[in-house]
Amino acid sequence: MRDMTYLEAIRESMSQVMRKDEDVFIMGEDIGIYGGAFGLTNGMIEEFGPERVRNTPISEAAISGCAVGAAMTGMRPILEIQFSDFVMIAMDNIVNQAAKMRYMFGGKAKVPVVVRLPGGSGAGFAAQHSQSLEAWMTHVPGLKVVQPSNAYDAKGLMKAAIKDDNPVLFYEHKLLYNIKGEVPEEDYEIPLGVADIKKEGTDITIIATAIMVNRALEAAAELEKEGISVEVIDPRTLVPLDTETIFQSVKKTSRVLVVYEAVKRGGYGAEIASMIAESEVFDYLDAPIKRLGGVPTPIPYNPELEKAAVPQVNDIIQECRKLMNK
Amino acid sequence: MATEVVMPKLGATMEEGTIVSWLVQVGETVEEGDPIAEIQTDKIVLEIEAETTGVLLKTLYDAGTVVKVHENIAYLGEENERVEDLEKQTPTASLQSAEAQRPGLAEESTIQSRQLETGSKIRRTPAARKLAEDNQLDLRMITGSGPLGRIQKMDVENYLARPRQKITPLAKKVADDQGIDIHGVTGTGTRGKIVKDDIVSISSIKTDETQQIVQAEKRVPFKGMRKVIADRISSSAYTAPHVTLLSEIDMTKCVALRKDLLPVIEKEEGLRVSFNDILMKATAFALKQHPGLNISLEGNEIVYHSNIHIGMAVAVSDGLVVPVLRDVDQKGLAVITREAKTIGKQARDGKLSPDDMQGSTFTISNLGMYAVDGFTPIINAPNAAILGVGRIQEKPVIVNGEVAVRSMMNVSLSFDHRIIDGAPAAAFLTDLKDTLENPFKLMI
Repeated sequence: MRDMTYLEAIRESMSQVMRKDEDVFIMGEDIGIYGGAFGLTNGMIEEFGPERVRNTPISEAAISGCAVGAAMTGMRPILEIQFSDFVMIAMDNIVNQAAKMRYMFGGKAKVPVVVRLPGGSGAGFAAQHSQSLEAWMTHVPGLKVVQPSNAYDAKGLMKAAIKDDNPVLFYEHKLLYNIKGEVPEEDYEIPLGVADIKKEGTDITIIATAIMVNRALEAAAELEKEGISVEVIDPRTLVPLDTETIFQSVKKTSRVLVVYEAVKRGGYGAEIASMIAESEVFDYLDAPIKRLGGVPTPIPYNPELEKAAVPQVNDIIQECRKLMNK
Repeated sequence: MATEVVMPKLGATMEEGTIVSWLVQVGETVEEGDPIAEIQTDKIVLEIEAETTGVLLKTLYDAGTVVKVHENIAYLGEENERVEDLEKQTPTASLQSAEAQRPGLAEESTIQSRQLETGSKIRRTPAARKLAEDNQLDLRMITGSGPLGRIQKMDVENYLARPRQKITPLAKKVADDQGIDIHGVTGTGTRGKIVKDDIVSISSIKTDETQQIVQAEKRVPFKGMRKVIADRISSSAYTAPHVTLLSEIDMTKCVALRKDLLPVIEKEEGLRVSFNDILMKATAFALKQHPGLNISLEGNEIVYHSNIHIGMAVAVSDGLVVPVLRDVDQKGLAVITREAKTIGKQARDGKLSPDDMQGSTFTISNLGMYAVDGFTPIINAPNAAILGVGRIQEKPVIVNGEVAVRSMMNVSLSFDHRIIDGAPAAAFLTDLKDTLENPFKLMI
């Protein structure tokens, strides 16, 4: 099978769906000839033309308002928020309009919109371009939240997100864009709400999202040498969340570490930890559930400080050792 | 239909009680209201009475056992009634019958499964708790290897995997009594079972080797009455800012008064009036004039008590109790003498009821029988003040410019400065001194 970057996989997924479904179109700032801030839409305007690859003014409120309206009339827009941090300007359209329309109109209006949100730190974009704000969206009933961690998942999940009749927030991690993985050519789909066990293990369950999945896997390889066997689970979608896969794993290992890049306080990892604590697998816990998240600070510009602000491989290793009392 | 006899809950804070003795043997008939057993709480020994007439069918614990409140301790029923049938209906009993089905394990091994989840403060993970529960293990038997001694699944697994040492019940009892750890003891009985002799031999070796240490150090669990006293004393000392006023009182006239009263009261009550009795009377008299000392702080309110109930600190064999004499200001010395003697004896016998110890509005702690000249007592909460009394001693003092020998006594008044100020406390002490120095005032 061919290797492909995460970025290319998302592009391919969108292109494949657009070829089949006339209703799907993409919109965003500089996504046309320029190919988007990260080059994700490179070449798409040539294939689909400016009608379906629409450059927009620099107004997230306008883009999102447009997209929600279009979705309600039967189109299936995919919109790009250049940096996920800018979603605040689109918040009313997403939270107050998109998330509630279907409910408020008794199911008669659907809002099949996908909002692509490049997020995360590590690329030196400083405090206003590096945040991980996915927990905000998970709090809103009516929104689905996707966070793929590799190219294969990104392609399959994008397909499912576009097909979904509800608003889906698709969080992409900037540091993952150039990471390659095996991606099949065919147009496959990964259903929302199915977690993936990225590595099997018996001592500790790590539940990690986005770039943290890669770091957890690296940490697991190190810990393996010390005789600590780590199972790494990637929920892939935060809403809906596949608790069953998580619970099964906790039953097996009895110890849990939740790793996420967002600020630890109030992060989605807290939700996962609580779900475990209040579930029937509570009785299987052999240590307090631990969360490893970002420190409560704006993401610094200085590369060393930027690194220190979010969990790194070594932090994960340390937490695992602590969980094993080593 | 048999009824259960349960460990009563005799106070808001009582969580467990000790069965001191069974007053009725299994098979004997009791009438409703008859005492069945003596139980001890933190402070007192009480009798449990039969609630129905019947035959004591079965006792579930031996004397000396500590049992949680509301737990069943015996069955009363009709003659020839079978308790076995009943026991299956209760959780405690079903556990016991489970034990009975595997006597080799429960009766003779070192694993006890009497109480599963005690609610005590054992640190353990949920997984450890569940595994222990599934195996009917008492977590108190297991040492935790986790942070702060937290018991983890691994510890329970290790415990379960450990070869189970067999021990006879007698050997177990001897080992428990002498505090001998039987792990590592080689049994000489059948199939390596530990018998009494094995323990005795260990114990003699242990005695020789560790005699010095044993003499130097004795460890007693910090609980029961000691703990209650400790908690209350510290709570009072830490929450109420104490100020103590000292005063020296000339007791010469009181000594004379007592001498005169002794035969009078003895004739009436058959009891000897003590200085303590006179002190109580005088204190109540002074409190009557100073209602600002006869108060308590209850939540956000200062309660001015309408009665004068005086708590009398009494040393008992293993601690301190404070029985209460009621309406002391309204009673004569003869009655006070009788009541103080009665209640003092009950205290020393551990026969006080909770009611006997509640409701004091002021307390007197008298150490005058010892070589104590004075001390600073800690307030007996919720009282706002306490009087500490030292010994009476003949001393040379200056009276009207001349040296005279007088019977002097030091008293100390500790008060809660949050609700009593220095001046009113001083005024009270002054009046108390004046009353004791001129005891005829008590007649007014």
